[in-house]
Amino acid sequence: MTISFHPDIATLMSFSAGTLDEPYAVVISTHLAMCEACREQVKRTNLIGGALLSLEPATEMSAGSLDRFMSRLDDAEPVQPKQQSKPGVPAPLAAYLPDGIDAVHWKFSGPGVAIADLPTSRNASGRLMLLRVAGGRKVPEHSHGGQELTLILKGAYRDRFGVFAAGDIADHDEDVEHQPIAEPGEDCICLVAVDAKLSFRSRLVRTLQPLFGI
Amino acid sequence: MMLRLGVETGTAEDLAQETMLNVWRKAHLYSAEKGAASTWIFTIARNLRIDHIRRQSSRPYVDLDDVEIESDAPLGSAVVEQSQIVARVAKALDVLPPEQREVVRLSFIMEMPQSEIAERTGIPLGTVKSRLRLAYDRLRPLLEDLH
Ligand SMILES: [Zn+2]
Repeated sequence: MTISFHPDIATLMSFSAGTLDEPYAVVISTHLAMCEACREQVKRTNLIGGALLSLEPATEMSAGSLDRFMSRLDDAEPVQPKQQSKPGVPAPLAAYLPDGIDAVHWKFSGPGVAIADLPTSRNASGRLMLLRVAGGRKVPEHSHGGQELTLILKGAYRDRFGVFAAGDIADHDEDVEHQPIAEPGEDCICLVAVDAKLSFRSRLVRTLQPLFGI
Repeated sequence: MMLRLGVETGTAEDLAQETMLNVWRKAHLYSAEKGAASTWIFTIARNLRIDHIRRQSSRPYVDLDDVEIESDAPLGSAVVEQSQIVARVAKALDVLPPEQREVVRLSFIMEMPQSEIAERTGIPLGTVKSRLRLAYDRLRPLLEDLH
């Protein structure tokens, strides 16, 4: 898989630090399963966490803590590595798509466009969803109510930044405006994390927004 | 880092214990070529903290070892001792410009999302991101020997 677009290094640092909101962490995790270059990057950014940890002053544990720890240690079983998930769904996404992509319930969201929300935990403030755009169709021009992470799972789209194909990720700030158009041919399916509701520019779409729940 | 979270001491200690327990359980999965022990422990602690906050089983933060399908990492390729790299990075972190060091520390140790760093420090989100990037650029040459 040739991947041309990767997350911002600041996003990968936040991933390493564990401070990304769940939907964003899922998108990055899924990209990592597809992208060796970013796995190498994350090994580096993890190292920063390790180095910082080694700089932090130690804190005393309370009395009895060691005893309790030693008794728990006696019951500890070794952990075995996890199995790979079923084909078609990258491993990090498996928990969110237990029945695979074909079983997704799509919601009509404009001509040639459909979305499906993926359930996240209640602590997540952003939204995780699949976006499906038919070949040659437009996603309405929009700016973002916050950070938007889009990972292409299938097909491809084109916007002013270039052509995004499977494995590519678009890491956009709130001030970025763009109008992706799916490349002719197969549907383009993306995994998207958004902060707030996407804000679409066109008046018509803005009117329709509540209707389609985009 | 658990104690800096704002969780009570009891919870932080539980998490610290849980971390050590996981280190113990997973010790046979740990290999020195893959990273320094402190980095490995850092990621275990991070995942536990996230699980604790979210109280649920689906894990949004992938473990790199779980997605490293083909582990054809060349053995014995003159990779610098990982703990040496950590020591070097720690030294470099110490001499980062203070404003860069601050965002890195708020992120990795205080565990603040970028938006919260912006709020707390009163600097724009874009600046938080660019400081993280600049810090990475400075540290990157030291992380380069990594495989
Ligand atoms: Zn990548």
